[in-house]
Amino acid sequence: MPETLSSKDHSLFRQVVHHFEMKQYKKGIKTADQVLRKNPKHGDTQAMKALNMSQIGQLEEAFALAKTALQNDMKSHITWHVYGLLLRQEKNYEEAIKAYRFALRLEPESQPIQRDLALLQMQMRDYQGYIRSRSAMLQTRPGFRQNWTALAIAHHLAGDLAEAEKVLTTYEDTLKGATPHVADMENSEATLYKNTIIAETGNVERALEHLEAVGYRCTDVLAVMEMKANYLLRLDRKTEAEAAYTALLERNPDNSIYYNGLIKAKAIPESDHKALKALYDEWVEKNPRCDAARRIPLDFLEGEDFKQAADAYLQRMLKKGVPSLFVNIKQLYVNPAKRDVVQELVEGYLSGKATNGSAESNGDNNEFLSCTYYFLAQHYDYHVSRNLPKAMENVEKAIELSPKAVEYQMTKARIWKHYGNPGKAAEEMEKARLLDEKDRHINTKAAKYVLRNNDNEKALELMSKFTRNETVGGTLGDLHEMQCTWFLTEDAEAFLRQKKLGLALKRFHSVNNIFDTWQEDQFDFHGFSLRKGMIRAYVDMVRWEDRLREHPFYTRMAIGAVKAHLLLHDQPDLVHGPMPSGINGLDSTDENQRKKALKKAKKEQQRLEKVESDKRAARKAAAANAKGADGETKKEDSDPLGNTLVQTQDPLKDAMKFLAPLLRSSPQNIEAQCLGFEVYSRQNKHLLAVKCLVAAHSIDPSNPTLHLQLLRFRKSLESLAEPLPEKIAEVVNAEFDKLLPKTQNLEEWNESYLSTNKGSVAHVQAGLSGRQFLIPESKPQCEQDLLATLDSPDITIDEATAALDILNKWGSDKTAYAEKAGKKWPESSVFELN
Amino acid sequence: MVDIVPLSSYPSYIDLLPSIQTCNITNLPENYFLKYYLYHALTWPQLSFVAVVRPRGGYKSSTTGIAGNVAGEYPKVVGYVLAKMEEEPTDGLQHGHITSLSVMRTHRRLGIAERLMRMSQRAMAESHRAHFVSLHVRMSNVAALRLYRDTLGFEVEKVEDGYYADGEDAYAMRLNLQNMWLDWKAIEKRDAENNKEKNGEEGNEDEGEEVGDLGKKDAEKMIRVKVGRGLGVGDLVEKNESKA
Repeated sequence: MPETLSSKDHSLFRQVVHHFEMKQYKKGIKTADQVLRKNPKHGDTQAMKALNMSQIGQLEEAFALAKTALQNDMKSHITWHVYGLLLRQEKNYEEAIKAYRFALRLEPESQPIQRDLALLQMQMRDYQGYIRSRSAMLQTRPGFRQNWTALAIAHHLAGDLAEAEKVLTTYEDTLKGATPHVADMENSEATLYKNTIIAETGNVERALEHLEAVGYRCTDVLAVMEMKANYLLRLDRKTEAEAAYTALLERNPDNSIYYNGLIKAKAIPESDHKALKALYDEWVEKNPRCDAARRIPLDFLEGEDFKQAADAYLQRMLKKGVPSLFVNIKQLYVNPAKRDVVQELVEGYLSGKATNGSAESNGDNNEFLSCTYYFLAQHYDYHVSRNLPKAMENVEKAIELSPKAVEYQMTKARIWKHYGNPGKAAEEMEKARLLDEKDRHINTKAAKYVLRNNDNEKALELMSKFTRNETVGGTLGDLHEMQCTWFLTEDAEAFLRQKKLGLALKRFHSVNNIFDTWQEDQFDFHGFSLRKGMIRAYVDMVRWEDRLREHPFYTRMAIGAVKAHLLLHDQPDLVHGPMPSGINGLDSTDENQRKKALKKAKKEQQRLEKVESDKRAARKAAAANAKGADGETKKEDSDPLGNTLVQTQDPLKDAMKFLAPLLRSSPQNIEAQCLGFEVYSRQNKHLLAVKCLVAAHSIDPSNPTLHLQLLRFRKSLESLAEPLPEKIAEVVNAEFDKLLPKTQNLEEWNESYLSTNKGSVAHVQAGLSGRQFLIPESKPQCEQDLLATLDSPDITIDEATAALDILNKWGSDKTAYAEKAGKKWPESSVFELN
Repeated sequence: MVDIVPLSSYPSYIDLLPSIQTCNITNLPENYFLKYYLYHALTWPQLSFVAVVRPRGGYKSSTTGIAGNVAGEYPKVVGYVLAKMEEEPTDGLQHGHITSLSVMRTHRRLGIAERLMRMSQRAMAESHRAHFVSLHVRMSNVAALRLYRDTLGFEVEKVEDGYYADGEDAYAMRLNLQNMWLDWKAIEKRDAENNKEKNGEEGNEDEGEEVGDLGKKDAEKMIRVKVGRGLGVGDLVEKNESKA
């Protein structure tokens, strides 16, 4: 039976609650202890003590105590509520919801419990539960507009648009014509929110009507204008839509979407270049400084018209010395004719033919010249117009004219990158950095180039110039805290290239954790946004959070992480650190050599651990009690090298943590599907493996990676250790037969792939791998053929480096290939075998 | 080619936030959690704008984004302005504040920063009836200073010693925005006409409260969101201004 408190102790207990509310957690604990001395089994006090403890980093102890509290008093809403709150802190949302429900059953009138339950239901997207909670809250306090809005949101997100609108209208009716003031933003936003709901029903006509009636008094003027233009265009009310998009452009002539709307409204056919050009010219006249209206016509103009317009555009920008001209132009190069015209024009400016005779003063001419050289340097560096020696020549001239220009030096580094020499590229980028040490952008570039050269340590040192290095964990700690995803991902990829899998996994996991944090971030807004009243933005946020991992940052990280796990599965020795290639290779037969390499790797790992612990000790000495950004004392990472991650028993299972969300969020990504096949086939999950193949096939049936996988899968089906269960076999065979029929002779199929795709080096490489796989004796011939691809005029340096990996997989000698490639790309370093 | 778009456009482009954060940490030493960006986007959704590189071949169009829809395309973000309203203005005057503005070095001199600023300023005046907009700029940042002072018309209000984490001083600048305020009288007149129509002859519409009330009401609301770096720029801004 629960203990009852004396009146003195009861008032002490109320103090505990008060201390908690005032965030005086230590006082709360102290006061609780006072009560507990006399009433050691008082559940509510124990629970409140636990809650206070949880706020000062003692979550584990708090949990134990909260459980005891529950045992001592199962019938108290406080013990259940606290238990729920702790579960929530631990992100065990489902259990937390159950605990809140128990608490609510014991105390149905409690607003705080109801509110906490509702917040979690929203976080968990339990819309039916959220509707129930919100209905109850509305009934208790119908005077608050936010309670109505909240219920409308619940119905809206649950998909019941009509009910959502009805709730909003019911509240409006209670106002009985007393129009809220213009300054009432909550009202303004609720009105627009209702309008978006009407539009979502698909009844755009009614949405427009509603907007016309109320939009004039909504203070988010731009939103009203955008919505109106959008509705009008959808309703095909052309004249009005034209006016609406014109009004939008008058506000912002730098938004191509508005021009699209205007053109649709005016029903100008895409082919009527003359009319289109005239339209854009009109806007140039209205806004002489606006770039969009000058630039967009270059997209559709052709032939002589294009040449003329491009000439005017290029000259104007070069004379103004706009350094960002090339990035604004390069999209045009998808059309080779335009690419060539641009090249001809700009080369012409240098030979002085086409400068329109405007004699510039010398100083200006200098700027014009250096800008032009800079443009050509980028032009010849760009992949569809690449001529690296010419690029280098031009960038040198630009640098000669303006030796202090950071951009020029950056481009020089870029050219070296494309030469296939990451070391030299990093060196040149460092020179650029030194030209402006206070600029973070160039510092970022320098760090990135150093990472591409696999020098993780140097990169971190560069990053440290702009981070708060007193943070727990130093520079890296700050980069984590500031959620610097680009660096963590690049760092991980560099470790992966070096086969330092522990650290690679560590960084990939960090980025994954950042995404988890971003998902968690929405929690506070479920309550906050209702108070603020910015409902449209809130609903947008909720919907975005549901597709958070579609972001390319996630895709890239997850792909890397899955690759790392696969590598670890295939080469378990890598758990001890990187080993020289060839020994990791599938052909490693020399056990002695393997042991030697292992020993070396382990020694290196020990050295790293020592370095890391020294660093930590140094940091500790420097800042005895470093604090995180949110004021909480943060603990040092106990596993900075990722040892626990890399020592996993089941890398494939760990890979699923990344693969599952990846396939769910980006099913159209063929690389993801191919990786899915790799994981599932190793797990002998044939159905899932085939599903990935089918998906990849529907994206690009001739994809090189897929081609090889199809062959491998067919072969593996033929040589199963034990037959698949009948039902599975049936589906697998039926599905797979559509991709690669059983009756098909594989060698013929592969040869026909080779001849169909002989124009593409990547495809030829896959075909050769296929042949080598099907007929192991053909290896010498395959090696010869692979070597011959170096003579292809189209081969890129990336394709050539990929060939080195292929030779590795074949267990072939890479010397001949590397030598020939090195001669083809004399500036490169990537073909130097060590 | 670069487009300047509202962060909370119709339909919403809120999925640009991670790329905005990356743009910020690539260019500037003052960085924030994503939650701080969310906080801006969900408190003052009208005030922030983004510069994105239009994808090759343009944006896909969708039912809701009939003229083109940035959402789901994840274009490269090359600039942004992150802005807010001052939550507790010391002088009681509603005013906006530029939390962060940056444009990638590779995309300078296309007029991007100017357009971003003008859009945000206008939204501050219209949506929030801001009296003025304030910002801080490094004294050494000549290019930014030229934009604010010469192009946009900001005036230096004062110098703040050691404002930045590295010890550099800042100019505190501001620009009056009252010329862009909405005509509330006209809106109220239309309200009255509407009411007259509805209620026959008896339409007697109240004149509405004074402007200042809104600010106070807002200021009383609690903010539970953790902001930026514990004492990052977001907070520093508040602190420095309340000292004044």
